[in-house]
Amino acid sequence: MNPEPFLQLDRVIHEKGRLAIMSLLAASPELSFTEMRDTLNMTDGNLTAHMRTLQEAGYVAVTKEFHSGRPLTTFALTGPGRKAFTNYINLLEQIVEQNRQK
Amino acid sequence: MANDWATEHLQVIRTLMERAAIYRRALAPVMLLTGSIGLLAAILGWSFKIDSPRSFVGYWTSISLLPLVGSYLMVRRQSLKDAEPFWSLPTRRVTQALLPPLAVGFIASVISFFHVGTAEANIANVIGKLWLPIGWIILYGCALHAAGFFMRRGIKLFGWIFIAGGCGLFALGIPDVPRPLYAHGVMGFFFGVLHLAYGTYLYFTEKAKNEA
Repeated sequence: MNPEPFLQLDRVIHEKGRLAIMSLLAASPELSFTEMRDTLNMTDGNLTAHMRTLQEAGYVAVTKEFHSGRPLTTFALTGPGRKAFTNYINLLEQIVEQNRQK
Repeated sequence: MANDWATEHLQVIRTLMERAAIYRRALAPVMLLTGSIGLLAAILGWSFKIDSPRSFVGYWTSISLLPLVGSYLMVRRQSLKDAEPFWSLPTRRVTQALLPPLAVGFIASVISFFHVGTAEANIANVIGKLWLPIGWIILYGCALHAAGFFMRRGIKLFGWIFIAGGCGLFALGIPDVPRPLYAHGVMGFFFGVLHLAYGTYLYFTEKAKNEA
């Protein structure tokens, strides 16, 4: 088996929680903190920690605003984030394909 | 082994992407609101003898706007309560799916409203109080079915009940029962009783799921 696709997998995205976050954001232009927390059944702290890592990697953009006097935090994938996610899926598909050919 | 986890990862990604695009706001209150308005409107329409084809069409067209506006206000209230954006992608998709059949129903109602007043009495009665309500039921079923692609639960099946029910009524032809009672009765049953029954079912299944 060629180990190259596996070695190229983005470690930031490869973590289970962050992969879930990236998947949700890839399917939606933006999602609020509560939408993501409830969909993924994560704690506030867990989600915040993962979001910080993704933000530091430049994969996720955060918008903070007020709606009817209440704070609303929304997240969206950045261009590099979408590219990294697409690349990650392509590598996974390569791995599946490689093993199918064996 | 590597194949297994890679396949699993891809499956998880697919599931989560689908979940992000599905409308998740509570349906039970919306169904109960629509059902209550539908049933009450049917009782009032029959009690106050809204019998002429024109008044029947005008009455039910106006009534149909109430649950529509009410539902969006409820959804907005819920999104504010949960600190979520109201005009989310799933909400937009559901609205886009609902729009064409509902718009056709509304346009047909407006055209009928102006034409039944000048048509011959029997024709006006059949169009205004028989075919138009059947058309509304079928189009509403189509709207629910289309929206069902972006919603959980049995919305598509609920839509099929309306489509099948409407086609069944059309196949039955012109009934012998007094027409105002029949017309308001049909509207009350489909837009009142069926919605109340589905809303009650959703309410209890949702509650049971939350308690589990």
